[in-house]
Amino acid sequence: MQCSDVEQVLEQGGFSPLPDAVRGHVADCAACSSLVADFSRIVDAAHELPAEVEPPARVWISLRAQLAAEGILRETPVAQSAVPLPPSHWWQGFAQLLRGRALATAAIAVLVIAAGYIEFRRPPVNDSSAPRAVTAGVLPPQFAQTDADLDREEQNLPPLRAASPASVGSVSSVDDTLRQNLTTLNAFIKECRKRLEEDPNDPMAREYLAAAYQQKAEILAAMMERGRSVN
Amino acid sequence: MSLSPAVRRRVSSAVFPILGASLFLVPLAFAATQKVEKHFTVKGRPVVMIQNVANGRIEVKSWKNSEVVVNASQGSSKVGLEMEQADDRIEVTANVLDPSASDAELAANFQLTVPEETELQIKTQSGLIYVEQVLGDMKLESVAGDVHLKEVSGYIIVRTTGGSLVCTQCAGKLDFSSISGNAQILQPALRSANMITMTGNILFDGDFIRTGIYTMKSGRGLVEVRFSGTDSFDLFAQTTTGTVDNRAEAFLKPDSHGVKHTAARYAKGLFGSVGTGLARVELSSFSGTIRILKRD
Repeated sequence: MQCSDVEQVLEQGGFSPLPDAVRGHVADCAACSSLVADFSRIVDAAHELPAEVEPPARVWISLRAQLAAEGILRETPVAQSAVPLPPSHWWQGFAQLLRGRALATAAIAVLVIAAGYIEFRRPPVNDSSAPRAVTAGVLPPQFAQTDADLDREEQNLPPLRAASPASVGSVSSVDDTLRQNLTTLNAFIKECRKRLEEDPNDPMAREYLAAAYQQKAEILAAMMERGRSVN
Repeated sequence: MSLSPAVRRRVSSAVFPILGASLFLVPLAFAATQKVEKHFTVKGRPVVMIQNVANGRIEVKSWKNSEVVVNASQGSSKVGLEMEQADDRIEVTANVLDPSASDAELAANFQLTVPEETELQIKTQSGLIYVEQVLGDMKLESVAGDVHLKEVSGYIIVRTTGGSLVCTQCAGKLDFSSISGNAQILQPALRSANMITMTGNILFDGDFIRTGIYTMKSGRGLVEVRFSGTDSFDLFAQTTTGTVDNRAEAFLKPDSHGVKHTAARYAKGLFGSVGTGLARVELSSFSGTIRILKRD
């Protein structure tokens, strides 16, 4: 019996029961003895692992949303879903879609592009006497929906992680940056919104608002990914 | 020499805590920084990917050899380093093993030497990304860290949240996007630049290549362009509630292609040509300032 024969026996038959010839070789061969010992330890460790690890609910939500987006899954969300999905309006499912970073970015990008496309496709209102496409003082509906959805996502960010003794006095600069930039972005969005409410057909305000929404979606997704939050 | 008991007590009370602390700190100091150096031989134009979930500086420089050398140092064992090679693709990853660790413990710095023609994909949280003399497409992403590029060429994509970009003698195409980061483009040879920042400033100090297209947008910040007297470009500058500061009136003529431009109904604009208007330069700021001036 050679070492390669032992490996073949282990590969095909596992440990129990080891044939006598193999046991005899292992008893005399340091290399094979070590190999069998290693495998034994791995098997013992594997037995100690829990049978199943429950994935977080958002994994299923993201997976379902992605499958649905790709047209692979067409069924309606089941009642026992980890996070209940009201079957009423497609838009409410969008909030769940935002839980994955890639999906969040892609989804909001599609939304913003669609909103921008619809808005930009409208002919400009040059005649001040003509009725305006959108009533002044009200955000265009496409932007209003995006705005509300992003605000909801912001509210749903998980709470800030409790500071460990090691990190006391050393607040993460990355989290600080994310928080500060979200605040900055919100202020800028407010500025663009105000302008757009005054002049709903202002193309630059629309352009900047669309860009700001897209960046807000990205920053929210980044914050979700880090598992931290803003206050 | 003998010391009195009182002096001995005082000396002991001062020295022993220091000695004790030293004994405690010395092993920590040695354990604090762990260094790794790895060499990867490559055949052609490698693709180097670095994902640094920890905090730290990433520096990439080039050399003539067909080899990628990665020098990594980590602040503690709470950061895990992984490096792998698949043919000409090299991936370097720094993972956080203990999320409760402090920032200092989560530091991981990388110093890479790569062949001159290398494609880069770098993603980090904080800490500087510095790339010098690399020719190849690159995508550089950072949340809080700055990005400094020197003498790089290719299709350059930079995304930051708060980090700023300084691009010196860059060539090729540049795509920059940030929320509050600034962008400084110095002595460029860019054929195309597309830059947007919501609250940061943009400075473009250099020549516009003929047939090049340059777009610079800042929501609230300053967009400043310093061109040379030999440049040739059409200028489109617009702001909604900001200001346009034209300090190059002597050089800016009505559009040389006979097209009469006017600002959008809700914006203030400045249009014209410098030289024969070969390149296209589009500047915009929602509520900031747009400044155009000729370099001395």
